[in-house]
Amino acid sequence: MRFMLLLKYDEAAQMANPPDPAIFEEMGRFNTEMVDAGVLLAGEGLMPSAQGAVVAFDGEEPTVSDGPFTEAKELVGGFWILEVESLEEALSWARRAPFRNGERLEVRRVTEAADFEGIAPQEVLDAEEELRARQAQQHGG
Amino acid sequence: MRYMLIMQAPESMRVGEPDGPPADEVFEAMGRYNEALLEAGVLLAAEGLAPSAEGFVVTRDDEGATVTDGPFAEAKEVVAGFWILEVASREEAVQWAKRCPIGPGVRLEVRRIPEMAEFEGVAPAEVLDAEATLRQRIAERA
Repeated sequence: MRFMLLLKYDEAAQMANPPDPAIFEEMGRFNTEMVDAGVLLAGEGLMPSAQGAVVAFDGEEPTVSDGPFTEAKELVGGFWILEVESLEEALSWARRAPFRNGERLEVRRVTEAADFEGIAPQEVLDAEEELRARQAQQHGG
Repeated sequence: MRYMLIMQAPESMRVGEPDGPPADEVFEAMGRYNEALLEAGVLLAAEGLAPSAEGFVVTRDDEGATVTDGPFAEAKEVVAGFWILEVASREEAVQWAKRCPIGPGVRLEVRRIPEMAEFEGVAPAEVLDAEATLRQRIAERA
């Protein structure tokens, strides 16, 4: 089963009060443990919202607003994607994640094709499977 | 450069939910969008996330970690899915985001994923080396 761990944080608060640089090493150790255990599929940080944008689809045309997203109390700061045997295993990793500045870690299951059987047309599921295979080939998976 | 497109939506707007779009239309449109991303050679990853009712939130204080189960009733919007693109510019990422076949009430956050080279001089060299090794091991696992 795959789970996404989403690190959510108050960007403004963290900029005013940056984390201890020791966090780099702690993150490195945590990531190493997950790689050693064979569970880590991916993990990335995200640049601050000042470099980002939000696209809204409320009108006839999509509208783009540049960051920073000052009104947001919580933003995604980074994520991990794990492949584990169970929800409990995902939670046990999430409990060990090294954050300590008031962040919240959301643990969310990544959907698989089986989730959509009977909901999406079979040809759509087949097409998606093919897309995934082609994507994996394209970017060296 | 890599950009993450994060779909933020009220949970009531998921496919199958009362305010959600018809499943057939969504799947067809998303399939076409993902195909276009793939044809352009920009698609690194794309996934959906199960509803927050299946999810959890972990918080931490001096006592340790606390796990709270979903749904995230207080949240107006929840991360429903994401794409990761490899593009030449921020503008290209934004253009792809604008083409995403999602409806009113759904937002797409466009956020840059930094590359390791950006942390040279910021993080200790041994940390960066260790990370490079880890990334190599992850890539080999795939």
